[in-house]
Amino acid sequence: MSGLRTSLWAAVSAALLVCAGTPGGAQTPVPEPPATGVLPGGVAYALRPDRAQPVAVVALWFRAPAAGFEGPPVAGLSRLAAATVTASTPVTGTALAQLVERWGGRLAIAAYPDSAAVTLTVPADHALLAVRTLTADFFAPVTDQGGLKLAQRDAAEAALLRSFGPDAIEDALGAALFADGPLHDGTLASPQALASVTLARVRAYAERAFRPANAILVLTGDVGAGALGSVATRDGAAAGAETPAPQTARIATEPLRASGNFPGIGLGWAGPPITAEPEATALDFVADALFAPRTGRVTRALGTLKATVTGKFVTYRNPGIFLVTISGADAEAARPLVERVVADAAQPIGAAEFETERARFVYRTLADLTAPSDAADTYGWYAVEGDPAYAPAEGGAQGKYFTLAAHLTPASVAAAVATYLARPPAVVTMTKRSGKAE
Amino acid sequence: MIRAAGAFVLAVALAAPVAAAPAHVTVVDAGGALAFAQSDPSVPIAGLLLLVRAGLDRESAKQNGLAALTAEALLRTPIASAAQPDSVALADAVDAAGASIGYAVGAQSVRFYLEGTPDGVARAAPLVASVLAKGPAADAASLAAARAALAERIAGEEDDPRLVGRAMVRSAYYRGGAALPPFGNPAALTALGPADVSAFYASWYLRGDAIASAVGNTGPATDAASRELLGALRAGNAQATVLVTRPAAAAGKRIVTHREVGAPYVVLGFAAPALGERDFPAALVLRALLSNLFERTGASSAAMPFRSTGALYGYDAAPAQLVLWINGGRVDPEQGLAGIDAIAKAASAKPLGAAVLARFKETARGQWALETVALDARASAIGGAVAHGFPPDTADGVGAAIARVTAADVLRVAKRYLRTYDVALVLPRGNGN
Repeated sequence: MSGLRTSLWAAVSAALLVCAGTPGGAQTPVPEPPATGVLPGGVAYALRPDRAQPVAVVALWFRAPAAGFEGPPVAGLSRLAAATVTASTPVTGTALAQLVERWGGRLAIAAYPDSAAVTLTVPADHALLAVRTLTADFFAPVTDQGGLKLAQRDAAEAALLRSFGPDAIEDALGAALFADGPLHDGTLASPQALASVTLARVRAYAERAFRPANAILVLTGDVGAGALGSVATRDGAAAGAETPAPQTARIATEPLRASGNFPGIGLGWAGPPITAEPEATALDFVADALFAPRTGRVTRALGTLKATVTGKFVTYRNPGIFLVTISGADAEAARPLVERVVADAAQPIGAAEFETERARFVYRTLADLTAPSDAADTYGWYAVEGDPAYAPAEGGAQGKYFTLAAHLTPASVAAAVATYLARPPAVVTMTKRSGKAE
Repeated sequence: MIRAAGAFVLAVALAAPVAAAPAHVTVVDAGGALAFAQSDPSVPIAGLLLLVRAGLDRESAKQNGLAALTAEALLRTPIASAAQPDSVALADAVDAAGASIGYAVGAQSVRFYLEGTPDGVARAAPLVASVLAKGPAADAASLAAARAALAERIAGEEDDPRLVGRAMVRSAYYRGGAALPPFGNPAALTALGPADVSAFYASWYLRGDAIASAVGNTGPATDAASRELLGALRAGNAQATVLVTRPAAAAGKRIVTHREVGAPYVVLGFAAPALGERDFPAALVLRALLSNLFERTGASSAAMPFRSTGALYGYDAAPAQLVLWINGGRVDPEQGLAGIDAIAKAASAKPLGAAVLARFKETARGQWALETVALDARASAIGGAVAHGFPPDTADGVGAAIARVTAADVLRVAKRYLRTYDVALVLPRGNGN
């Protein structure tokens, strides 16, 4: 947990304690709880209602390395464990996945190198039930063999889907950038590895990762403060959130080679930590300005080449990473063009062009936050990475993130590129795996 | 031990954001034109839908693709702006203003959707209005670019067996232009020239029956934008068309096609009620029942390629069509078809039991809530309801209407709509079966 996050939540908790002692009578209006806080059971939460939405979103985020806390790393273990919980039969008798399906809702499980998230999108009148069920099922996780079997199928399908897109190259870039740690181990599982994971290992992982004190509950959409009263807690659960797993930068040597379902080239750079907010915002801007479909500088430079290029800055605790993927028949020919455009970005562009790119960047970033589930994702991500106040969804266009975006200049953006992207990148070359896709 | 936390109500200075009241649709003063707004101030951006009655039903058989070509040509019309002094295509000029614009071609309308921050919408709306006032550039270069863009969209639909099947059962169900592929086909598009586009635009892009609906962070910017876009259209009304479908008593068609797809898909097309009609809520209950028939219990909501069945409900056209698809990679196509047929017959023969009814009413309400989350879906629901003579907030009442559905309602709707249907079989190329 970063110093900033600790101090913020500590302050909120202190405020709660102070105010809990404030005398109040029956005549006192019932106040709203704080937007961010820690519940008595140790669960951190972010409550960001939008009562005009037709749905409620209830998400639980956990700080947990995707490949496991100890023992031989298994990419995708965190997702497998979360899926085993949602598919297993709890003491209440109905698996969470079944319940959500009956509600006509959506249950999404996401695994990132150092965190995992389970998000329910449900009709608004199911919000309290969703909070109660999700927290009860995860804070005292029941894992059974039937649930594991369903989870293995679910995780294998999710991995297969991701393996046919740029995700596969981005996941492999973690091993090119880091010698160990969560980003090195990655999240993309092989079906064989998933099939060999025992219930005992899944259970041990779930018990450790899915504790109340290691959780961040995010509530968005049509959900009221009363939902916080439905959060389950667990007596005797270990206190304290998991500390971030260490990871070591890899000394760049030869490009890594890998095989998979999605051939292409990956370029990766270590970037600023999340706490270096202006620089992190600058690299988000660069990713949009260079790689946006149709209008990005790289996209336009490709001309008639048959290549698809993606680029993104991922705001991790420390360091963030800048990832580029190049795929398509002309990927090799496109690579020098991509590298030249990235290098050119270390020079400031003209003011008018910069303002146009800023307008695009602000709109596109905000557009990704309109659905309650999108907003929940950003609150969860930035909280788990240690800088919740910096979440783009926080405060909307007037919040901290977009205020920083408004203060970017051609020179500050160029300087961020010169600092982080001027060095040679880590490189992964992904070749097409022969035989049947897996 | 698990227990629910006690009431957590504490007075603090850091209060949670004040929750917005449930949104209501308001009328926007657009000088007599139809304009509406549904505010959600918690959303940082705004969306503005412009519905014009220039859909597939305006096309003759020889004009297939003309509605899409006209819409695409509008977005490719060159225009200069403050951000882009050199003329660029309208879509690029809008993009440079910090907004986006796209369109969808439907059986009875074309719906343009402009989205941006309120400032972005304010910058972009005059650009769009300027092009609407002049009409699409119908020069050879612009039309060639428009045709190329449509060819990409056609190819995209051809890659999705569900959409291929839907196009086939649409063509079996509707008569006239509404039966035609929304984007035409590449060969037919080359036969359409500048004169066709100009004439189509002049005939059907009219203010009198156009509708603007703004959603999200609405306010002065979207109100002004609604007025600008509607005001740019030529005054007048076009005669409304009535969609014609195959007779209800007619036997369903069976169609087979081959595509580059990984697995066979069975696609069924049923006649169905449109949004706003009395039978619509019960039809959503039937949709929930039929589209979940083969879903296996899993650990999370399945991604589309891994779903066994699903539905595409074209409720924005009246008469509407409910399309069910079966993924032959997950369910044996023959068994899948037999299963749907059995359930459709059973639902048409006797009322659902109370437990089954309650189960699928709950699912239907949830599915409806989830499909009305996106801003463009909300804007389209308002425009679509008004276009068919229903109140603009019709979609907001559907959840409550589903809750009131009875077993008799479901039986009535099943009898009316599920007895005959068309079937399209989309097979992988090289499959001899």
